[in-house]
Amino acid sequence: MHRRRTAAAVLAAVGLLGASVGAARADEAFVTNQQSDDVSVVDLDTATVVATIPVGGKPAGVVASADGARVYVTSPDAKAVTVIDAAARSVIGRIDVGGGPVGIVLSPDDRRLFVADWYTNQILAIDTATLAVNGRVPVGRAPAGMAVTPDGALLISCDRDDDRLSVIDTATLTVVGTIPVGTHPFAVTLSADGLTAYAANVMSDDVSVVDVAARREIARVPTGDTPYGVALAAGRGFVTDQHADTVTVFDLESRAVIATLDTPAFPEGIAAARDGRKVWVASWDEDVLFSIDTTTLEVVDEVPVGTSPRAFGAFIRPTE
Amino acid sequence: MRHLTGAFAGALVAGIVALAPIAAEAHGPTRQKVEITREINAPADKVWAAVSNFQDLSWVPGVAKVEGSGSEVGSKRTITLENGETLTETVDKLDAAKMMIMYRADADNVKFLPVTNYSSRLTVKANGSGSTVTWWGAFYRGYPNNDPPADLNDETALSAVTGLYNAGLDGLKKKLEGGS
Repeated sequence: MHRRRTAAAVLAAVGLLGASVGAARADEAFVTNQQSDDVSVVDLDTATVVATIPVGGKPAGVVASADGARVYVTSPDAKAVTVIDAAARSVIGRIDVGGGPVGIVLSPDDRRLFVADWYTNQILAIDTATLAVNGRVPVGRAPAGMAVTPDGALLISCDRDDDRLSVIDTATLTVVGTIPVGTHPFAVTLSADGLTAYAANVMSDDVSVVDVAARREIARVPTGDTPYGVALAAGRGFVTDQHADTVTVFDLESRAVIATLDTPAFPEGIAAARDGRKVWVASWDEDVLFSIDTTTLEVVDEVPVGTSPRAFGAFIRPTE
Repeated sequence: MRHLTGAFAGALVAGIVALAPIAAEAHGPTRQKVEITREINAPADKVWAAVSNFQDLSWVPGVAKVEGSGSEVGSKRTITLENGETLTETVDKLDAAKMMIMYRADADNVKFLPVTNYSSRLTVKANGSGSTVTWWGAFYRGYPNNDPPADLNDETALSAVTGLYNAGLDGLKKKLEGGS
């Protein structure tokens, strides 16, 4: 709550907290439902929807701030980013960005927002205090998913139609390297130490394992058909295989595939819970958010959400 | 871009498709879904035999011919419509026990069907002595960029696929209930 907020928003938050004094909230998933034009807020302890926030513009990308205060959502049809007060479950701002905003990520200190423009082949830098666009970086064609290193120094972008990653210096907002990967990388996830990137290649049906410092691909892990997203938990990688209706699980050390799990259909956005015991996944076709136990590798929860959930990004917000 | 005439926009899209080195370049932002179900008064194994024959589309109106071979994962077919437009599709997934076949278009042809990144599946379930057949499709609109012309927007894509599935399933029902 270190960000400046309007008096009304603060009062609303106080009112909400007052109603549940002493009851610590569980972490929450903010799931973008593209066809119902809203965001489902899912309490991850009870696996229930606790709020639905209208957003509009066919929301797709999402990122929750590290401090848990805000959630930012891209709406490509509205050419806008929506700013949500997470605790109050209310829209507190809208940033007109033009183009086709899809991928979205925050710097580790929550001060800068990066939005990939799928159509104009650039990444926009936005100051989260003023909500003003204050920089643009040209990258390859159809930039989609992104990740920022834990020190905040580097931004990695999936340039989907150029079959490569771009590495961007966040201080100068310039591309300092490109890394060829598989065919049509869509999403990228960094290891906790920021040294290794995992990019899901939707057309070559594999994950590229990338040494960030060396700026090169060091291994390729085969997945099911049309891999969309990658989450890391319990020493394992979890990859959503959209067309196969499966999640591929591989060992991060050996990079060997451990299991291929049948899941609800068309799994897309995936994120690990903070304690690493579950990964949470949006099923675009079945309109549910489901979880996988990262040890037993079984589907545990299935939570009905809005229509056609994408949840593309870091959609889990911490609450303490 | 938003004031292009239909003909010019069509030519522009055709140009983009022609220049694309491989299939499935950038697409519209919102994936669409159509799911149509029909009850058919025929046993499930008979319905499954018809829909899992990847080289027979005699039940879909408007199809002039189907060329290809096989009905296994990886099998391809090239469909030619009566208007001359063609589309090549490949079987992605086939589960005889679950009576489900999934396939996708190798490349887009918006004059065949005004969609991109098209994938589809047909599923049969026994329902008493009859069957329930479901035709499902996932796709993006025909125009890959912002501000689509009316003939390549989300609504046009949805209505084209809905029309195809309704006509196809009506044809399938007629073929299977009318025969034997």
